[in-house]
Amino acid sequence: MVEFAGRISRRGFGAGLAGMAALTAAGGVRRAQAADNAIVIATIGEPGPLDPTIVTSDLVSIITQHIFETLYTFDGGWQVRPLLADGMPQISADSKLYTIKLRSGVHFHDGSAMTADDVVASLQRWLNLSPRGKQVAPYVEQIGADGALGLTIQLKSPYAPLLALLSMSNGAAAIIPKAMTQSTAALTTYVGTGPYRFAEYKPDQYIRLTRFDGYSSPVGQPDGYAGERRALIEELRFVPVPNPSTRVDGILSGEYQFADSLPAEMLPRLRGKPTVSPITVKPFGFPLMIFNSKAGPLANPVLRQAAQAALSCGDMLAAAFGDPSFFEVEGSIYAKGTPFYDEASVTAYNLNDAGRAGTLLKQAGYAKQPIRIMTSQQYDFLYKMSLVAQQNLQDAGFEVDLQVLDWATLLQRRGDEKAWDAFFTYHTFVPEPSLITILNPAYPGWWDTAEKHAVMDAFNGETNPARRVEDWKKLQGLFFQQAPAIKVGEFYNLAARSARVTGYTTTPWPFFWNVRLG
Amino acid sequence: MLRYLARRAGGLVVVMLLVAVIVFIIARVVPGDPAAVMLGSSATPADVAALRAQLGLDQPLPVQFLLYLRQIASFDLGNSLFLNRPVLQALGERAQLTTLLTLMSAGIAVLIGVPVGVISAVKRGSVIDQAATAVSMLGASLPSFWVGLTLIEYLAVRHAWFPVAGWGDPGDGLLAHLHHLVLPAVALGLPNSALIIRFTRTSMLDVLQDDYVRTARAKGVRPLGVVVHHAFRNAMIPVLTVIGLTVATLIGGAIVTETVFGLPGVGNLIVSAVLRRDYPVIQGTLLVISGIYVLINLAVDLLYAAVDPRVRF
Repeated sequence: MVEFAGRISRRGFGAGLAGMAALTAAGGVRRAQAADNAIVIATIGEPGPLDPTIVTSDLVSIITQHIFETLYTFDGGWQVRPLLADGMPQISADSKLYTIKLRSGVHFHDGSAMTADDVVASLQRWLNLSPRGKQVAPYVEQIGADGALGLTIQLKSPYAPLLALLSMSNGAAAIIPKAMTQSTAALTTYVGTGPYRFAEYKPDQYIRLTRFDGYSSPVGQPDGYAGERRALIEELRFVPVPNPSTRVDGILSGEYQFADSLPAEMLPRLRGKPTVSPITVKPFGFPLMIFNSKAGPLANPVLRQAAQAALSCGDMLAAAFGDPSFFEVEGSIYAKGTPFYDEASVTAYNLNDAGRAGTLLKQAGYAKQPIRIMTSQQYDFLYKMSLVAQQNLQDAGFEVDLQVLDWATLLQRRGDEKAWDAFFTYHTFVPEPSLITILNPAYPGWWDTAEKHAVMDAFNGETNPARRVEDWKKLQGLFFQQAPAIKVGEFYNLAARSARVTGYTTTPWPFFWNVRLG
Repeated sequence: MLRYLARRAGGLVVVMLLVAVIVFIIARVVPGDPAAVMLGSSATPADVAALRAQLGLDQPLPVQFLLYLRQIASFDLGNSLFLNRPVLQALGERAQLTTLLTLMSAGIAVLIGVPVGVISAVKRGSVIDQAATAVSMLGASLPSFWVGLTLIEYLAVRHAWFPVAGWGDPGDGLLAHLHHLVLPAVALGLPNSALIIRFTRTSMLDVLQDDYVRTARAKGVRPLGVVVHHAFRNAMIPVLTVIGLTVATLIGGAIVTETVFGLPGVGNLIVSAVLRRDYPVIQGTLLVISGIYVLINLAVDLLYAAVDPRVRF
């Protein structure tokens, strides 16, 4: 009987090995074929509806920026540059009338030519449906076509962030055919003017974009998102890979040619590998601990200042990211090297002064009400820094109720002003300060004081770049004085590309035009 | 037999109705809002409220429940809030992968578990038996995600014999798809084979001590014949139950394995749906999986009759 079992076992084992070898050979051939004409990009997950206007998620914009285009975009120094517009707009002396000329010969992926009517309808859709467009809408008097390739935007009052908002690729003023702008629902067909056209979406499997042969590129040396765009690779394939270690394994094995958002602690696995180039994305984002300025104990600004005094942002960042090359203890909301960087107005950051916090607690008459802090383990770095914050606050005399929730629950609860006192989130780098969510009085946290309104209005109405920077410094000073939130510091993103990928430009929202596969 | 089947079918309807109610309640009791997830973290409460209204999520729960029941009655599981397609279609697209993965994992678990269990019982107390016991204990203790990550590291990253993750390229045939499933199936099947080894061994040991086995040996039946024709078939009845339960467990295990290997299967669909609070997908998928569980149990019960002629319905 042992003989029998052994025979079966050996035969089965042999057949199994042969089968697996056949499968390995078959799969290997397929993979090699696919890699010749396509680039596989491993993303953090499933994006959901690919509507860049309604949705503000970074993942959606990383994909859709290849399909849809805006009138303007950003260059490498985060200055606004034309994309579908033919040059920068003419702005009237009172800064209320923008006259925009469109590039001729631009076609949508359905073959139709882009006209001013399409642009006007797209901008109206953006004003009605996009969170960023809604921010602009109160300032807009009228948008109208001026011939086939011209349009005007008439404002009620000067609004300096307009061009930056028209340049963003998420919550984007994406230009689509007029016929597609009629519905208020998210887009279900994806027709834009970009260098890649939508080909296929298999949820949880891949999104395929193929080269648009009728693409009309802007001219000029490529610089950031601006300048000439050439689709050098035939097909882009975005593959959702939620498990970060699988993304690392996939780039190491050569299965992916680009992998986004990798854990910093995995950098040693990527270093020294000839087939892989690790990428550190700077600037990338900043973690925030947002206080409830509207209700609960932290509606008292003195208590928020006490929390501000208690926190050790350096310890929070170290706990969250470990490797110092992936974070910087930086209080300025804009990092060094960006136009709005300012150190002087950072007046209360990384103090970790329990004594000062205790004094402020007494001054505020704090009666040990529990401070409900919401955090989530879905973003490990937020969870780790919330543990340090909890300890800092308790050391200073706060009673802390740390609530660990899943991200969907946190997003829901933060809309209820009575449900929380602080929550952790993060903000991706945005080139225009008015896009920072905490400055929006409707955003959870509800920072909405008269002083802030006055400074914010002046900042938004100022069109002179130098004077805008001065206004921004005042706004940042107020941020540290009124403490609606804690900017914990700067953190950087780790991504990786195959050594075969050349011509790649490092940006927070990776793009793949002008990229070659060697 | 027909009466038995009719009775079980009636029970199936009642179970499914109960599952439908429980799943609806669980999905709604858990906090979280699909509209907030869909719009991203930059959205304001007003934006979220507007989308909730558009998706019909602002309607009272009893109204939503009645709509849901009406859909189920017409065999419609509704539309996914995220995927822009009916739940049934989304499930259908992923069913092939999960079915293949479950079958391959079950095959691996059975092909390892049953022979090793039989040999272990026949060679009771030997080195082979002790090794099989040790390996099965170890296998039972290893989580499938750890096995998966280890297999990826050694067989996919270092040797590139198998793909790291995914379901293949567009246009791939069945062979290439199966190639993508080898590592996940091993990761899932290996730990589950341990339970089958244990049950097969125990069941065989019981049967090998029965009188009819002793009689067969006394009659001069060859040892192989005793094991195969007399002991093995009778020992399989409790093992079949375990295999049935293992297949059901594999469907659950596929949730973790599909996530680790980035496989677009039903498990991944559930995880994504829960994270996004995609209520129709959560409800529809759990309803279908519950139905499959019940059907597997029914199939196992019917198999008893095939294995043991004494069993009649």
